[in-house]
Amino acid sequence: MDSKNIEALLNKYWNCETTLEEEQQLRDFFRNGNVPEQWKETAAMFRYFEENKKKSLNDVAFDHHIVARMQPATKGKTARLFYNTMRIAAGVTVLLTATWFIRREVRKDIPQEVVDTYDDPKLAFEETKKALMMISKGFGTAESQAKKINMFNEAQEEIQRKKDTKL
Amino acid sequence: MNIESFQNRVLPAKNKLFRFALRFLGNEEEAKDVVQEVFIRVWNGREQMNEVQNWEAWCMRITKNLSLDRIRTLSRKQTHPLEDGYDIRQESLSPHESTEIQESMNRIGQYIAALPEKQRQVMHLRDVEGYSYNEICEILELDMNQVKVNLFRARQAVREKLMKINAYGL
Repeated sequence: MDSKNIEALLNKYWNCETTLEEEQQLRDFFRNGNVPEQWKETAAMFRYFEENKKKSLNDVAFDHHIVARMQPATKGKTARLFYNTMRIAAGVTVLLTATWFIRREVRKDIPQEVVDTYDDPKLAFEETKKALMMISKGFGTAESQAKKINMFNEAQEEIQRKKDTKL
Repeated sequence: MNIESFQNRVLPAKNKLFRFALRFLGNEEEAKDVVQEVFIRVWNGREQMNEVQNWEAWCMRITKNLSLDRIRTLSRKQTHPLEDGYDIRQESLSPHESTEIQESMNRIGQYIAALPEKQRQVMHLRDVEGYSYNEICEILELDMNQVKVNLFRARQAVREKLMKINAYGL
């Protein structure tokens, strides 16, 4: 690039009218040593910008350090998830065990369904009849007992009636 | 975002963030601390990252804010970054020339360090890091006009100093 062009670009630069590409052209131009005397200081400025861009974080362990500081958050997250899952699992286990024990106790108290069934319908009928007879006998006894109570009622009614006629 | 993609995508920006923090703080250790803090914040806020259009500018903005916080807590305003010399050895330059250039560069470092904070920031983002005006707006939370005015003033101030040197050889 000739010095005329550079001069024009520089003027644009000082007036903040250069694009990023044009600024890069200026940096490229001033990077090499053959800079006219009048631009020595300007060249130093562009070099200064370039050299500053090379400055880096001089710490090899930096990334490692950052990642190490990031880990606890993720670890905590998984740990929390694991902890919560375990809590739920423990609750479910307690419930299941309790249910199992209660079921066992209940089964022990109440005998399971009657196992005997009759294959022969006639025999079954006889058995049913027997059972019904037993109930009806029970009813009969209850009835005769109830009749006794009835006697009291009748007597009470009798007394009431007599009281009424007297009055 | 998992750790791996964080390492591959976000961590490589560390040098840019470091240079920007260094521009504020002028102290490498402090700048490193700030950059670490920035990454931890970005990691903790990684859910938001999908909503952020330009995450690098977002990181730079966090760097700016944390650096300013740091300056406030340190209650000292460091306006001149430490210039620890530049290695500009080049075959085309004689030892004398390279010493001369090195001295000039140190002087320019001082000029830039002496600029008001905003101008210094804009100049750094544009001339060192090569960000577009839009990105600078986003990073510094300024409007386009402010960015351009600050850059213009910064360049003019440096130019004046350079012209004085040329005129008087100072």
